Amino acid sequence: MLKNGESESILYRLYALSGLKDALKSRRHFSDYIFKVILGLVIIIIVSPFFLILFQVAGVGFWQVFGTGPGQGLEFLFTFPGAGLEGGIRNAFVGTVELIVVASAVGIPLSVCGAIYINEYTRPGHVRGIVEFTSDVLAGIPSIVFGAFGFVFLVDFLHIGMGIIAGSLTLAFMMIPTILRTTQEALRAVPMSLREASLALGATKWSTTWNVTLRAAFPGVITGFLLAIGRVMGETAPLIFTAGNSLIVPTELAGPGSWIASMPYTIWAYISDPREYLQVKAHGTALALMIMVLAIDLIANLISRKVTRRLV
Amino acid sequence: MTMTEENETITMQEEEQIHSWHSQLLRNISKSLHDFRMADRPGKVDMLGKWGLFIPAVASTLIIVLILAFLWFESVPILVDPSGGPGIVVSPTWDPNRDLFGIAIFIVGSLLCAGIAIGLAVPLGIGGAIFLSEFCPMRLRQPIKMIIEMMAAIPSIVYGLWAYLVLVPIIKNNIAPITQSPTNGLSLLAGGLILAIMLLPTVVTISTDALQTVPLSLREASLALGATQSETSRKIVLSAALPGVGAAVVLSLGRAVGETMAVLMVTGNSLQIPYSLFDPTYVMTSIITNQLGYAFVFPLWRSALFAVGLVLLIMSICFTLTAKLFIRWGMKTRGYI
Repeated sequence: MLKNGESESILYRLYALSGLKDALKSRRHFSDYIFKVILGLVIIIIVSPFFLILFQVAGVGFWQVFGTGPGQGLEFLFTFPGAGLEGGIRNAFVGTVELIVVASAVGIPLSVCGAIYINEYTRPGHVRGIVEFTSDVLAGIPSIVFGAFGFVFLVDFLHIGMGIIAGSLTLAFMMIPTILRTTQEALRAVPMSLREASLALGATKWSTTWNVTLRAAFPGVITGFLLAIGRVMGETAPLIFTAGNSLIVPTELAGPGSWIASMPYTIWAYISDPREYLQVKAHGTALALMIMVLAIDLIANLISRKVTRRLV
Repeated sequence: MTMTEENETITMQEEEQIHSWHSQLLRNISKSLHDFRMADRPGKVDMLGKWGLFIPAVASTLIIVLILAFLWFESVPILVDPSGGPGIVVSPTWDPNRDLFGIAIFIVGSLLCAGIAIGLAVPLGIGGAIFLSEFCPMRLRQPIKMIIEMMAAIPSIVYGLWAYLVLVPIIKNNIAPITQSPTNGLSLLAGGLILAIMLLPTVVTISTDALQTVPLSLREASLALGATQSETSRKIVLSAALPGVGAAVVLSLGRAVGETMAVLMVTGNSLQIPYSLFDPTYVMTSIITNQLGYAFVFPLWRSALFAVGLVLLIMSICFTLTAKLFIRWGMKTRGYI
């Protein structure tokens, strides 16, 4: 009897907590309640693939990346693969880092200077509209089209040849729209009074831009870099025809010696291979790549949130 | 009579204007040269810097023009060849050995895949966006948003790996037997599902932003009239944010058509038009990825592949334009987006 009453009270508490009490007041309240429950289920469906993917990739590849045994952990990242592709993924890891560094060295100055020009030196109108529109179009172009363009323009037409230069230039093209638009947003958020104060002190527009405006907008600019780097780090399609593949790190700037491996390409090559240890290596590479990309994305998020909080 | 006189005066004025425009340009140039010579060092840096910055600013425009030009010149051979012509867009036979380069199956495959993905991702994504912006408890909102942003950052090859190793066997063993259709799991359905999963973050993020720009006063007015929260969010907030949600849908459609690696790994890549959800299919991005390497020494074959790339490019430009139109519509009718 007592037990029954206790369970009733727990049930009743649950019933009150779940909002069913209000929901049963009328038909409209009930449909309101059902709507909210369905939306809650929908958000669970939306975020569940993230955990399923993390579970699959980490379930197989965890010990490859974090283990301490032979060929695991840092050794996995920093040994070259052997003739049968066993061993580590140093070629892919170093390759991805080198590609990103060269791509950033080309893409970041181009897009930051472009953003400064259209935000500081042009009025809203034709030039600014054209640049904004083309960078939006560039952001929407499929990555394989960039790959095909890089192949026919850089590799074939300019005779650069497959390798680190062509691959990273293609990635740099893909970075431009992201950095340009984020930098522009950041520059636009800098209050006009800062610029006016600097100009009133007799500084030229050039030194105002570089020493005052850009410095104030710096966190936003950094966010743009990180977002762009995170985006191109996982791209496979542009690299298939422009970077080639290699078992070692590139030793030359042109010719077959400059062919370079990358982590996404390595995952693709290993996952379609029936050999078991290559599947495990593919998972390990995917986990390492995911951790790198997600860490960069998280840092970008943190910076941008801190900045927005300060501005508000 | 008055007309001719007017015309004459107008031409006179125009000539004068042109003349003065010329002399003004000359005067401007000589003036700026004089200024430059007279300027001190920071001033010179300032003047040169402005022109130095102009070149990076046109870089993105230049790249677009180059991409368009190269894809166009590479696809010209197939478009003027008697065995090809613009008809390849509707011709369904792709057989490089017999010089038949119909790209219709790839276009159909891409559109079907993207259609399935959009059909799944848009209702779910808008539902998720309404939940995030209207009903989500404050404590849960930031973590969920962060997870969704992280989903957008996961490389497509990782989605492909997961779909290939998990989703495809599930379709083969659990879903296909329901309809008794023989399949190895590499199918249109697998491509549509993985694309839907990849599009969800885009749809949710952009739609949430659009819903949150709707002024609070609209919600308050609706609630004050006695509408329930769900009625408010469906009929007031969603319809007020419609342009932004439309832009989200169009942008994600562009991503769906352009997605390469994940779709390549799970759609089976077979040269046929799919008639059921469990048939394998071939999409535009996959044919370029799979065959460009071999086709490069065959002019017609290579040209046909670049024609596929040109179709992709034109489609993506159209999607970007449509999204811009949605945003302009929102600015015009609502004043916010």
